[in-house]
Amino acid sequence: MASADKPINTDVPEKDVFALHFLQSLSNLRRQNAFNSPDDTTNNRVKKIKKAAYVSMARAAGGTNRLWSRALLRRAAKENNKVVIFSRRKKRVTWLRRSNRRDPVDAERLRNLLPGGGAMETSKLMEETAHYIKCLSMQVKVMQCLVDGLSAK
Amino acid sequence: MDVSEKDELRNGDTTANYDDESANNNNPPPDWRVSGSNQVSAPNDSYPPENQMMDSFGQTLWYDPTNVQAVGYGGFNGVNNASSSSSSFRGNNNMDRSLEMGWNLLPPKGNGMFLPNASSFLPPPSMAQFPADSGFIERAARFSLFSGGSFSDMMNHHHQQQQQQQPLGNPTESIGLFLPSNVGVAHNDASAAMKESNVVRSSEQGNKQNVPGSGNVSEDTQSSGGGGGNGQKGGEASSKGFDSKKRKRNRQSSEAGQSHRSQQSEEEADNNGDKKRNDEQSPKSQGNKTNSGKQTSDPKDGYIHVRARRGQATNSHSLAERVRREKISERMKFLQDLVPGCNKVTGKAVMLDEIINYVQSLQRQVEFLSMKLATVNPQMDFNLEGLLAKDALQLRAGTSSATPFPQNMPMVYPPLPHGFMQQTLSSMGRNISSPLSPINGGYKRQEANGWEGDLQNVIQINYGAGDVPPDSQAAAAAAAATAASLPSSNMKVEP
Repeated sequence: MASADKPINTDVPEKDVFALHFLQSLSNLRRQNAFNSPDDTTNNRVKKIKKAAYVSMARAAGGTNRLWSRALLRRAAKENNKVVIFSRRKKRVTWLRRSNRRDPVDAERLRNLLPGGGAMETSKLMEETAHYIKCLSMQVKVMQCLVDGLSAK
Repeated sequence: MDVSEKDELRNGDTTANYDDESANNNNPPPDWRVSGSNQVSAPNDSYPPENQMMDSFGQTLWYDPTNVQAVGYGGFNGVNNASSSSSSFRGNNNMDRSLEMGWNLLPPKGNGMFLPNASSFLPPPSMAQFPADSGFIERAARFSLFSGGSFSDMMNHHHQQQQQQQPLGNPTESIGLFLPSNVGVAHNDASAAMKESNVVRSSEQGNKQNVPGSGNVSEDTQSSGGGGGNGQKGGEASSKGFDSKKRKRNRQSSEAGQSHRSQQSEEEADNNGDKKRNDEQSPKSQGNKTNSGKQTSDPKDGYIHVRARRGQATNSHSLAERVRREKISERMKFLQDLVPGCNKVTGKAVMLDEIINYVQSLQRQVEFLSMKLATVNPQMDFNLEGLLAKDALQLRAGTSSATPFPQNMPMVYPPLPHGFMQQTLSSMGRNISSPLSPINGGYKRQEANGWEGDLQNVIQINYGAGDVPPDSQAAAAAAAATAASLPSSNMKVEP
């Protein structure tokens, strides 16, 4: 049976960490010439900002220690043709568990929502969802603050 | 007549339908062979005045130690020993072939309760002396059901059990319970009762009630640990059906005593633990969290031992399933606390929908805010504000931040364009003149206010710097510091 790890660990870093990461990624965006030039359409900028937001959130939330953040980073890295360096994970990931454990409870919609949710057990999925919700809400707060700070005219 | 006798033997009928014809010497051996398992059912039949049949019956009768003791037959006093009745029973087997052989065999064993003078005990008065107690009847009924095996073992076991069982009403109850159709239930309940004593978790599901009639049995088996161990083993061996032979084998194996049985139950418990361990190891990884409702035993091996609850299936698969289901429900409860406005909602499906809606709404919010960010401001302000905010964060707490201040600060200090700073500061200053209060009012939470306050302070500094040139140096220094840290942070940004 699994080890006796009773309380579910969904600790999320402070808002500062999220803000820091987000601003870092934004500043990184600034460095891109394509971004700053007026040729860039708003839509592209939106997409880039959004991606930056998610990536920064994933990094702030724990990097490769969380399944969803790992999947997010991997997806982002693939798009940018970069390589994500994974830290050494403590537990093995069993990607083939889908067939075993998904029969009775199918939280398919949740799996589609959560990055990397297709390969988790349902209980693990719930855990990751909780952490994901926390991180998302934190990121939303940060962005809201930023927008309010910037758009105050 | 043979047929009739067979039927009588099988049914354990006490009617005096015994025929003299079947009392021939020729018949008994085939009868005994045919109803080999029913040898001991003879006592059920009436005790006809026929000598020979009485003898053949008497063999089994006399082998009943309690019976003999209770009756107190004249030649049988003190001859019969309960402890050695097993050997006497084997002697009985040998006697199956022929009565004469049996007669010869018995006396040398020293347990020979059988005397040629059995006929003297035949008259009805002796029958009246026969113990009419329910125990005897119960034993007789049981013997009629069980095949071969150890007659005396069962006697011993039942004797012990009976000694432990106070009410006499039990045997009659157990008679009914020992019928093949019911025994499975009895054993199930016994095993379930045993397990209930080990139940660890207060079940959310209601406890299923035992069959009322078997309540006594379950309690009694609990009181006698050995019996309970036996019952548990029997229940687990065949939880669905009941096999008399299995039960007798259990009895035989546990003939040694209660200590033996307790060992057995311990082994079974270990087996259970191992079985559950193995089953629950496979579907779950090592790092999974477990249900806090379960008791953790043996922290050294890192496993969680789960016991089946009362009235639940003891299949290893269903146990693992139940564990998994409980895990999921626990996580759902946790999520319920996270998602606002989900306290009233119950049920997995509705909860799941709520969670999905919430996650979708959060994602939509992120997208909307990113759109806003993209459209709201030109690029420069962004950068500057990022630097300044970073500086504010570093100045304030610094510990939570992931970017340590670099030791070797790159020499970008001088080339920092002060003019550039002032230009952006002034533009920002114009923007951020008024709305300090709305920002504060927009967020009710303390942390938001605190954070906002920092951001505003930083912005204020810039604002102030934009107006008053002397302050610009301070702002520039701050900006420089953050700019210095920028390369390191950039190194961090790129993976």
